[in-house]
Amino acid sequence: MTTGIDRRGLLRGSAAASTLALAAPALLRSAAAQAGPIRIGFPVPLTGAFGAEANDQVRAAQLAIKEFNAAGGFDGRTAELLVRDDKINPGEAATRTLELIEKDRVNFLVGGLSAAVTLSINNVARERGVIYNSISQSDAINEAKDFGRTTFHEALNPHMTAGAVGRYVFPKSGKRVAFLSADYAYGHEMMRGFKRAGEASGIEVVADIRHPIGASDYSAFLPRIAALKPDVLCLCNFGRDQVVSIQQATEFGLKRNTKLVAPVLLFTARKAGGDAFDGVVGGTSYYWRLEDTVPSAKAFNDRFRAAYNGAVPSDYGALGYAGVRSVLEGVKAAGSTDTAKVVTAMEGLKADFYKGPQSFRACDHQSVQSVLIVEAKSKGMSTPDDVFTILGTEGPDERFLRGCDELGHKA
Amino acid sequence: MTEGAPAARPGSGRTGRWLARASRHRVALTLAFLLVFPWIAPYQALAVNILVLGLYALGFNLLFGYTGLLSFGHAAFLGGGAYGCGIAIVHYGLHPGLALAAGTLLATLIAAAMGVLAIRTRGIYFAMTTLALSMCVYYAFYRAEAFTGGENGLRGINVPSVALPGVRLNLLDPTVKYYAVLAVVGLAIWLFSRLLSSPFGAALEAIRENEHRAQACGYDVARMKLAAFVISGALCGLAGALQAIHLSIVPIEIMHYSTSGQAVMMALLGGMGTFFGPFVGAATFSLLQDGLATLTSHWQLFVGAIFIAFVLFLPLGIWGEVLARLRRAGW
Repeated sequence: MTTGIDRRGLLRGSAAASTLALAAPALLRSAAAQAGPIRIGFPVPLTGAFGAEANDQVRAAQLAIKEFNAAGGFDGRTAELLVRDDKINPGEAATRTLELIEKDRVNFLVGGLSAAVTLSINNVARERGVIYNSISQSDAINEAKDFGRTTFHEALNPHMTAGAVGRYVFPKSGKRVAFLSADYAYGHEMMRGFKRAGEASGIEVVADIRHPIGASDYSAFLPRIAALKPDVLCLCNFGRDQVVSIQQATEFGLKRNTKLVAPVLLFTARKAGGDAFDGVVGGTSYYWRLEDTVPSAKAFNDRFRAAYNGAVPSDYGALGYAGVRSVLEGVKAAGSTDTAKVVTAMEGLKADFYKGPQSFRACDHQSVQSVLIVEAKSKGMSTPDDVFTILGTEGPDERFLRGCDELGHKA
Repeated sequence: MTEGAPAARPGSGRTGRWLARASRHRVALTLAFLLVFPWIAPYQALAVNILVLGLYALGFNLLFGYTGLLSFGHAAFLGGGAYGCGIAIVHYGLHPGLALAAGTLLATLIAAAMGVLAIRTRGIYFAMTTLALSMCVYYAFYRAEAFTGGENGLRGINVPSVALPGVRLNLLDPTVKYYAVLAVVGLAIWLFSRLLSSPFGAALEAIRENEHRAQACGYDVARMKLAAFVISGALCGLAGALQAIHLSIVPIEIMHYSTSGQAVMMALLGGMGTFFGPFVGAATFSLLQDGLATLTSHWQLFVGAIFIAFVLFLPLGIWGEVLARLRRAGW
């Protein structure tokens, strides 16, 4: 009886097969590294106080990926977004970033939504030479101590946001200014921005009051401020603190004599806070009504509406889009996914993705971009999403940033 | 709390041949498991986290499981160790080995100061005192922005490699990092085991069973409690120091009271008063959180429900229950 397979052949065959099986993972891995999709890690706080913002960031980032792939990707490679929940906890963010770099072998990182979290992701990424484009407000990330050559900052920083708002408000509303600030780094950075802007118009600081972060009762601070009758009250706080303090300031009747100013007015916070925000002036990186004047904003909004049932992108959402798009445009311009080449390409990027011209400053990779000054409204809205009036725009200019020397960068 | 604990104690009852043998080699068995653990864990960074949290729960368990004192302030020791180590590296450029020692020392000092004050109270008052004192420590570190980075956290604890006599370990390689951390954790586990089998360990268990009887037997209960408190703090501090090097940052959240609660949860999940339980607890806690967070954004709801189920149906904890069943089966 012959089976057609002799023992020797069987041995030889199985030896070859097992060699192949052993080598397969290695072969696959190196093949994936060369021709697999371009992987972008995206840690954002899907759970926690900023879940709404984070989910909007994911949707907008997915749009950037979809556009890139629809346009044929790069060199036959598509892009892929790996979303991770950082739970707005810096330790969790560091662990997730390690996972994305070591296990998922991402090419790039984009994300973060809190100064502490973005600094944590940045520290892990720069130590491993992975490009990280931060989309969270922070002043510290510009400073030489935290900066790495692979660090990019797509978002505004507190200094330029508060500065732009201050330069707009102080000449118009008066020189007697009171500050109510959340007592932590972000609040202090905002206040520094306001004060620097105020020096030019000669403001007089009548009160400088700090409240603990997460405070729910402002009745100890607001009557003191109301008694001083300042022209302007700057609320240097964020998120829920901002919503609650503005609601209580309205109840205390501060709006009668005083202009309320918040450095960052979030689209989502205004929608949550309702008409208490009426008349409050603040800054933002993006508001969808920019489409009335800026063609790239119109195009971006239309693509977003088409993808998500007519919804408009929020300010933080738009940053998710821009963060991913900057990196992918960097890849196209560099003609490579090699880190050093993409860094150089991103440094030279002259972009107009969604809000007008933008570029990264050479010394700290801060995105130099326009800041919108908006006023919240609840009447005369064209749609339920029409919650702000754009009062003005401060164009992109390095003058409004802290100087490279001041940040500790050597020329 | 001091007298209420023994009901859920898996150490009692007749022990069979196999369990006795396993108990004798508990350090070797624990290390054997931890040696192969990276191949079971979803990714190495998480494996290192579990290792560090396991050591944190182990230190906590010395006080909670073996001495019967429920502290709600252990975050101060984990955080103290992490900040001590981080500050030593960032501000003073110390060798990582020395920085680990500096972190552990800082945690030990914090534990000594807190212990002297807290040990006078008992039961729920002890829990509340430790909680309050740990929040004082939290605010002190939160305010010392020049050293700790405050709200932004301490960054820049970058240890790409460690020079040891004869070798240079590349800590950017996740596998090397895991085994380097395991070497330190292994040493701590061995010390911990030696401590438990010493007369001091036996005295601690006597205090847990009945404080008055232990006192009547001539033990200086107050001093032994303080010693247990400080040693527990030192072990947690070492865990914190390792965490700082692992994540290269120290977030202020590490000192928050929710981190203290995490120690209680891990000890209960794994099995209080068991040697290997803290690692089981840390692994279960981290894997649950990690896995559920990838599946759903309502992960907290499920973690909470699972935790309640464990408390209701497995009061001995996972490892405690396993031991109890093996014992019943005559192992």
